[in-house]
Amino acid sequence: MRNASDTRLPATTPAGSEEGGTTRSARWSRGRVARVAALVVCAVLVLSFPSMAPNAYILSAGIVVASYACTATAWNFMGGFTGYVSLGHAAFFGLGAYGTGILIRDLGLPSFVAWLLAGVLVLLVTIPLGIAALRVRGASFVIVSISFVLILLLVFQAWGSFTGGSDGLVVPRPFPDLLRPEHHRVFFYLFTALLAVMLLAWWLIDRSRFGTGLKAVREDEDKAQALGVPTRNYKLVAYVVSATFTALAGGMYALWFGDLDPIFQFSIMLGSYMVLMALFGGVRHLYGPLLGAVVVGVGLEYFKLEFGDTQLHLVATALLLGLVVLFMPDGIIPAAKALAKRFGPQDSSIREISAAELQERNLTASGTPSSTPSGTTTGRTVADDEGEDER
Amino acid sequence: MTGTLLFQSLVLGVLLGGLYALLAAGLTLYFGVMRVVMIAHSAFLILAAYLAWFFHQQTGMDPLLSLVITVPLFFLVGVGMQRLLITRLRPATLTMMSVLLTFAVALFIEGMIGFVWSGTQRRIQLPYSGASIEFFGARIAVVKLVAFALAALALAGLYLLMKHSRFGQALRATIQHREAAQLVGIKTDRVAGFGFGLGLATAAIGGTALSLDATIYPSLHWHWIGPLMAIIVVGGLGSIPGAAIAAMVLGIGQSLLQVPLGTTWAQTIFYVALFATLMLRPQGFFGGRLAQRF
Repeated sequence: MRNASDTRLPATTPAGSEEGGTTRSARWSRGRVARVAALVVCAVLVLSFPSMAPNAYILSAGIVVASYACTATAWNFMGGFTGYVSLGHAAFFGLGAYGTGILIRDLGLPSFVAWLLAGVLVLLVTIPLGIAALRVRGASFVIVSISFVLILLLVFQAWGSFTGGSDGLVVPRPFPDLLRPEHHRVFFYLFTALLAVMLLAWWLIDRSRFGTGLKAVREDEDKAQALGVPTRNYKLVAYVVSATFTALAGGMYALWFGDLDPIFQFSIMLGSYMVLMALFGGVRHLYGPLLGAVVVGVGLEYFKLEFGDTQLHLVATALLLGLVVLFMPDGIIPAAKALAKRFGPQDSSIREISAAELQERNLTASGTPSSTPSGTTTGRTVADDEGEDER
Repeated sequence: MTGTLLFQSLVLGVLLGGLYALLAAGLTLYFGVMRVVMIAHSAFLILAAYLAWFFHQQTGMDPLLSLVITVPLFFLVGVGMQRLLITRLRPATLTMMSVLLTFAVALFIEGMIGFVWSGTQRRIQLPYSGASIEFFGARIAVVKLVAFALAALALAGLYLLMKHSRFGQALRATIQHREAAQLVGIKTDRVAGFGFGLGLATAAIGGTALSLDATIYPSLHWHWIGPLMAIIVVGGLGSIPGAAIAAMVLGIGQSLLQVPLGTTWAQTIFYVALFATLMLRPQGFFGGRLAQRF
């Protein structure tokens, strides 16, 4: 028998419960249509960017932002799913970039074969590194990840005969006969394609059992382990996937930019940009790092253009990172949602109608005539009859 | 001849290790009281060195006198940082987020140093800068000795404060068990703030010592943070004696390796030690219970 505090029926729908179900699924599919439409619009906007860009500078800035988006999304495979913050992903970026460059230089491989091979090499290297790094959690993990970058910076600067040292390493262009704007255009699409693959992979993992296991690690690693999640292997796979994608982004950058320097490839700043962008957008969301990369990346490029070589971009990055960490550690997507909710209709936990009124409304809504003697329920509040089955 | 060289680098290693030990003790304090890994520690170190240089530049007095200003200043900054920034973070994600927050502080300091004093390399010229003394055949620069003496004095002071004062007892109680310390009437929030301030004061002393014989530039702190982090992991997070011993061992090791390998490769000893520690004893070689979970 239906109770006055029974809220299973949507009180506003005029039809019965079965039809309530169908309207809900219809609304859901409407949301889905809107989402797909938004995705298509965004994709079209992104893909038409090269033809809309007024000059080659804007186009190259767009490529830089796209590469930021790739690295931030790649970072998010580890940072977002498992909650392990790695400040040292620039190590993998640099390894991918240098791997590509050195394979082309020494083995004379075709550019994109070298690129893929560099990705595979980083994948293999990351397995022992990951086993070592993932033996610790939390702060120690961050320290270890930073030390990756610092050690590789030292090695690549000191080992000049192999890496070119501080003189840099010139990577031959993959398309030597293309003019510069055309070259930019091709690489913009290549970066976008790489990003699309990453987003698809993230989406698939997000919906899989594997992804659920990783999220369990993020929420409470000990409990996840106790429940039988193979935490170490899951973390290792996430770490390797994340590192490999970062390396692929680095290799792509090497092919595009054509000139590598240890200071810029193994830079702590690069790693911190990844973290900043992912956190800014929201690490729990598929598009969070992408959104963060667009906002922060555009900001960084603007800063470089406007203020040039001063140290102010460090200060700006620092302030932004500090603000994000202090005031919206979940990113702007949840923050914007919360803000929208604040201006929307208020949901209150206090019911402002009495139980009798509610029951009356539910009954008329479902179309069945009231069989309850009206005298027994009048004047009673919800709090009184909670848990009672009144007849 | 090689015996002299060996002895020389051994002595230099001890002198360097003393400075490492002081700085690592500061890092350990932050970690102990707040479970915070303070990436900005070495940035504050460089800031103190710059302040000492600036003080010397403006007044012409000995940079050691700048300690009178920088130590209380850094103490207050540390208390303020703990109160205004660190405690605002959510307890559940405090460790991770504090790393990012202090990283942001480090970047901010580096950027502001570069902005105010430009990226030019700076060095203090003192009357006794070039002086050195003979010590059983090893030549030791006076400035290095002064720096070591400063670090050793500060460490000894810290030790006395921690072991033989009521505040030190309260601080250690807070580190060992926060709730229990609260139950016996210790104002743990205030103590944690003071602990943070003390840690930053070690950076002020270390920075002044550093400024005596090092060329300083804004991004120098990245060269310090890696070794310091490695030291506290090797020593076991949260253990001050562990950090001091690891600092000494690794400082001497670095100094000895500089002879055959050169300065750049010698630095890798810290990272080799870090990875060896992770593989053999992830909780560190001297750490207690504290280190296991972090």
